[in-house]
Amino acid sequence: MSTATIATRVRDRAIATPNVIALREKDMGLWQQVSWSQYWYTAELVGHALLALGIEPGDRVAIHSENRREWLYTDVGSVSVRAVTVGLYPTNPAAEVAYLLRHSGTRVLIAEDQEQVDKALAVAGELPDLERIVFVEPRGIRHRYDDPRLLAWPDFLALGNEHREAHPEAVQDRMAGAGPDDVATLVYTSGTTGPPKGVMLTVANVDYAIRELVEQGGFTSPPPSHKDCVLSYLPLCHVAERVFSCWFGAGAGVTVHFAESIETVTTNLYEVQPTVLFGVPRIWEKITAGVQIRVGSATWLKRKIGGYWLRRADWIGETLAANGGKHTPASRLVYAVGYVLCYRALMDRTGLRKVRYAASGAAPIAPEVLRFLMGLGLPMHEVYGMTENSAVATANRPGRVKVGTVGEPHEGSELRIDETTGEILTRHPGTFAGYWHDPEATARMIDPDGWLHTGDVGEWVDGTHLRITDRMKDLIITAGGKNVAPSELENALKASPYIKEAVVIGDRRKYLTALIGIEPDTVGHWAQVHRLPYSTYHDLSSKPEVIALVQGVVDEVNARFAAAEQVKRFRMLPKLLDHEDGELTATMKVKRSAVSDTFAELVESMYQGGTR
Amino acid sequence: MRGRPLLYLSYGQDMALLNTPAKRWWTLGLVLVAVLLPFMLEDDLLVVLATAFVASIGAIGLNLVTGYAGQVSLGHAFFLAIGAYTAAALSGDPDSTRLIGFGITSLPIWLLAAGLVAGLAGLIVAPLAARLRGLYLAIVTLGLVFIGEHLFKHWRDLTGGVGVGRPAAVPELFGLQFAVDGAIFTKAQKLYLLMFVLLVIFGVLARNLVRSRIGRALAAVRDRDLAAEVIGVDVTRYKMIAFAVSSFYAGVAGALLYVMIGFVEPGSFNLAMSVQYIAMILVGGVATISGSIMGAVFITLLPRVTRELPAVLPFISSSSTAGGITIFQVETILYGLLIIGFLIFEPRGLFGIWVRIRTYWKSWPFSH
Repeated sequence: MSTATIATRVRDRAIATPNVIALREKDMGLWQQVSWSQYWYTAELVGHALLALGIEPGDRVAIHSENRREWLYTDVGSVSVRAVTVGLYPTNPAAEVAYLLRHSGTRVLIAEDQEQVDKALAVAGELPDLERIVFVEPRGIRHRYDDPRLLAWPDFLALGNEHREAHPEAVQDRMAGAGPDDVATLVYTSGTTGPPKGVMLTVANVDYAIRELVEQGGFTSPPPSHKDCVLSYLPLCHVAERVFSCWFGAGAGVTVHFAESIETVTTNLYEVQPTVLFGVPRIWEKITAGVQIRVGSATWLKRKIGGYWLRRADWIGETLAANGGKHTPASRLVYAVGYVLCYRALMDRTGLRKVRYAASGAAPIAPEVLRFLMGLGLPMHEVYGMTENSAVATANRPGRVKVGTVGEPHEGSELRIDETTGEILTRHPGTFAGYWHDPEATARMIDPDGWLHTGDVGEWVDGTHLRITDRMKDLIITAGGKNVAPSELENALKASPYIKEAVVIGDRRKYLTALIGIEPDTVGHWAQVHRLPYSTYHDLSSKPEVIALVQGVVDEVNARFAAAEQVKRFRMLPKLLDHEDGELTATMKVKRSAVSDTFAELVESMYQGGTR
Repeated sequence: MRGRPLLYLSYGQDMALLNTPAKRWWTLGLVLVAVLLPFMLEDDLLVVLATAFVASIGAIGLNLVTGYAGQVSLGHAFFLAIGAYTAAALSGDPDSTRLIGFGITSLPIWLLAAGLVAGLAGLIVAPLAARLRGLYLAIVTLGLVFIGEHLFKHWRDLTGGVGVGRPAAVPELFGLQFAVDGAIFTKAQKLYLLMFVLLVIFGVLARNLVRSRIGRALAAVRDRDLAAEVIGVDVTRYKMIAFAVSSFYAGVAGALLYVMIGFVEPGSFNLAMSVQYIAMILVGGVATISGSIMGAVFITLLPRVTRELPAVLPFISSSSTAGGITIFQVETILYGLLIIGFLIFEPRGLFGIWVRIRTYWKSWPFSH
């Protein structure tokens, strides 16, 4: 019996349920279906093609693409020939692409379209290992580019077909040799500090994560099955989306639907009506803001009725949160009436009505947002994990939810809090094999006893649930010696639909301040309603009326915190933060150091003059 | 897919007539109500409704050429007349010395013939439409009505002449007579059901036509004939198709229109009748099939309502001799007001109002 990899899992599904649908992707207005047998057929073909290109076990194959079928074909295909999959974020600028490809020593790159091919070609001189660039979308490339390394996807598959005819058993033979210590994938962490680091996840790591999270129902209850469907819309190179699209699919037969793009997620949600949905806090904040704005801008009667039920949703959410996610008779009754009058239609319109399990992770989320969504009837669960432990750490389990915590440790995994530093440590078979070409950093992460140092500070709540205070590096110690967790304040601010970004500053300073970026959609709408003309983002955010609006939000948040933890002053960010300008990571997390450097003048201006 | 109506897996699913569960249930409900109505309403009202159904077929025809293809036609009364006389002549008494008659009383035959003859007439007129547009086309089609009026007044062998007229077509299907009271059903009930079935058939046919390649070509011609030609639509051909199909529908409607009263009078095919049909599609909704039906039912039922007016408003009299304003004048004024009102306030007609109501509930609890 050979080791179970995602490739063997897909193959076994193709044998057991060949005609069940595995993937759907929208093309020319229609959802094109791919059955398990077609999925495996193409993935194996990719494996053959990689063999034809001379890929040996342990060689790196990179994918630089939005979520689409070819992403999974390549992932499964390269694992089947024991190669290592490296995912690149579609938003990675050329310089980062150069770094990632060079650092990983990628031999074959699957690039989605002209945009990504251009990035790779721009830096191709620095990449001696890169032998082939396979492009999926020929538009703009075919007949115009003559780089000898370029290869069109159909030609790539044809290569695989030839190889299959010549050596029909080659992929199967290679697969049989797979061992648990093979590196299955390199996941580059986004790196809020310093350059990205390549996390090596082995076949055994992935297998453990699939068994823990998918098959034993580490998240959902009952465990996911072929009846579930998910929408794949977050970057697949991130471990969270890999769990929910690739591993949920291979491990449990969940049907994966690819969103057309991140902009069309709302429409695609409405069409697909997924049953399991994972989102980062930004997505949930956006959904919350969207619902509030859309109800607020509805016609009179709808506004009154919708507004009433949204307020009730807050109450229902609070009741649910106080009861571990379970209804009381009173809240169930209120919800039942609200369901008929508002929630059913609302959830249907937002595409969330069939969601039986919703998870938020990858960053801390404001409890208000969780409660509100729970009140609407969305079973929200905050989960916690990181790339280095294959996303296995803690999860709120259905029926035992504690809002504000990240839940209980998974069964069969060890988790403890360091007595002196308060750092969260985990130990289980999912702990990564090390950083690629960086043994020093690896040694800093894993101690000799096998404990993984997560870098997050946490505490136990009621002895069962884990609450994360903040990243260790992010903790602010004010000049007064007070320890403050900025993420708590920031999330409270971001819970307002008008605020998109909030960066709290105050390390070694007299008091806390914040840089605040507005959400252009909602504030733009607010300005329109209040007949406030504006031109650009900068113009809008510097309007005295808008500053007053933000001041109101800040005051409201301050009222919930102790005096030393209050934001005394704030400034508006003059631009939208951007990945390309280096202010955000590929996962849209704020790089604190970059932001406080870029806007150093703004920051200083908040500490000049007397304190208020 | 079950439970996910918007997850389209094929274009057929996307294009389906009843593509949402809501539409399926509404259609089923409407058909049930329509089938049960004859057992609940008085006969005289059933006759009015049956007339409305026939008028709907005619209105659909006008909507095809004016609404979908954008060719203003004031000549609809002419094509209705052709249909009416073709059917009447075919099913007329062959032994009559006064009138032409062939004694073919089978409904499918004379109905089809009426449609085809009218369609042929439409085809002959169509080349005019290929050369003219807008107001000029309206004037030319207006001319048709006057030619028709003159022709039918003087061709006594066919029409019986002004003030005399001739019996309408005899509806008979497989030996079953519709225009006489039967053992189980009354004449009105039978006619109502017959017209309802015919309306469903012609309505679905038209709906299928307009969502096909032809329908899209017609819309292209309407929106800008030059642009349509550039993208490869043969404008002349599609204008001819529009006129031919529209006239076919008018012929069918004309053939059936007088079955209820059993009598055709040549003076009735005048400009007023054309205007009435224009009113139907404007009130109902331009370029919609269901709108045509709504408009036709609305306009046909209007006289029933105005007839009740003298009882409520004493200054309106029911006969022309009593002085003051008569119900017929009120009716004419109402047509005018309705057309003006709808064009200004609801250019998409009754159908537009329906769409607005539907969208309101569909988007609940949001507004868009």
